[in-house]
Amino acid sequence: MKQIATFIVNEKHYELAIEPHMLLVEVLRDELGLTGTKHSCGIGSCGACTVLIDGRPTLACLTLALTVRGKDIRTIEGLAQGTTLHPIQKTFVEHGAIQCGYCTPGMVLSAKALLDKNLNPTEQEVKHALSGNLCRCTGYIKIIDAVLAAAEAMSKEAHP
Amino acid sequence: MARLLRPFEYREPQTVGEAVRMLSEYGAQARVLAGGTDLLISMKKRQVSPEYMIYIKNIPDLNFINYSQEAGLGIGALATHSAIADSSIIKNMFDLLATACNKVGTPQVRNMATIGGNICKAGPSQDTPPVLLVLDAKLKLVSPGGERLVPVENFFIGPFKTVLRDAELLTEIQIPNPPPVSAGCYKWATKTVAVDETLVGVAVLMTLDSADGVCTDIKIALGSVAPTPMRARQAEEVLRGKRIDDRLIKQAAQVAAGETRPRSRADYRRRMSRLLVSEAVAETWHKIR
Repeated sequence: MKQIATFIVNEKHYELAIEPHMLLVEVLRDELGLTGTKHSCGIGSCGACTVLIDGRPTLACLTLALTVRGKDIRTIEGLAQGTTLHPIQKTFVEHGAIQCGYCTPGMVLSAKALLDKNLNPTEQEVKHALSGNLCRCTGYIKIIDAVLAAAEAMSKEAHP
Repeated sequence: MARLLRPFEYREPQTVGEAVRMLSEYGAQARVLAGGTDLLISMKKRQVSPEYMIYIKNIPDLNFINYSQEAGLGIGALATHSAIADSSIIKNMFDLLATACNKVGTPQVRNMATIGGNICKAGPSQDTPPVLLVLDAKLKLVSPGGERLVPVENFFIGPFKTVLRDAELLTEIQIPNPPPVSAGCYKWATKTVAVDETLVGVAVLMTLDSADGVCTDIKIALGSVAPTPMRARQAEEVLRGKRIDDRLIKQAAQVAAGETRPRSRADYRRRMSRLLVSEAVAETWHKIR
């Protein structure tokens, strides 16, 4: 039986009637049309469905939507301000850290969770933070460079 | 594998009492959902199709990490692997547990998966059980009729099998203070797959009578090398009561490898057990001195 629930996605409130067995990734993509979140392996190995729940990287393919009603859900669509890209998105573009793009939303969100806590990460810390996001186009070096560059840019912005 | 779930009735108990009453009412038709990183995969594979889903993660008194000098460490069953790995008291006093929790899955999985779920799943290759074995952990199991404390050593009875009864819920993991002049560590080797599953895991807790003294007690536990997580008691005997040296460590590692009962890749698992026990005991010994 459907239940009415309120979801807070990228600071917008949505009241939806959903089945309890619906996954968060289905609600985001099919009910809200937020297709930036990718549905890939379905078993928590690839990280393509990563979203932030209360700031923490979480797998939308292994989360029942009802269990995150009322929580702060961030998807890739919530990062840019209008046409101004988030610094992480900007450095991903500048460093060519995107090839097919399928892993990119999850990579960017895992990177955001790291940089929100630590604006001066080591390369090792970046690798650890991204270890749950697989890239099949073998773009890891550029991705790591992009995250380190974003950290530098954001830290300059925070302490000019 | 299907990527979507079959329908079920959803329940969200707010207390432990309410949760175990539901478990007792629905019996085998119900499954407990916490982090979801294991159960939802089994459901997509159609290995289980519960009629009732009992989501317990909103029960407030199951998500905690408490420490006191008298009572030792108490971890709520809903504490996530990230919360345990990031806890300063655990990093300071029970660092082998923080290490094992940081090894599990990926950052996303660690943010979601609970230690209670990891224990109750009882997969032979899981990382926290060997550590809980050497730390002498006890598990608090609550049912509608009352509660019991089960030493972690008696909890696992086979691959994916535990003594947990249908209407019982694991609520807390209790860990006593480590003895003075002791140290521990957790080491592992993995299979090379997307999420590196542990091939051999070794936990050690060693106590000396003084910083350069005799080994008064040692516990060595291994994961993924037998149907359940196991203690290597004969290997412990090689070291207990002795002044540790490299020759004794090698001997104990050899004995430990002989105690393993791998279900597959036996030769490789035994070789890795010998290597990892040797490394783990040596590292622990150096930590104390």
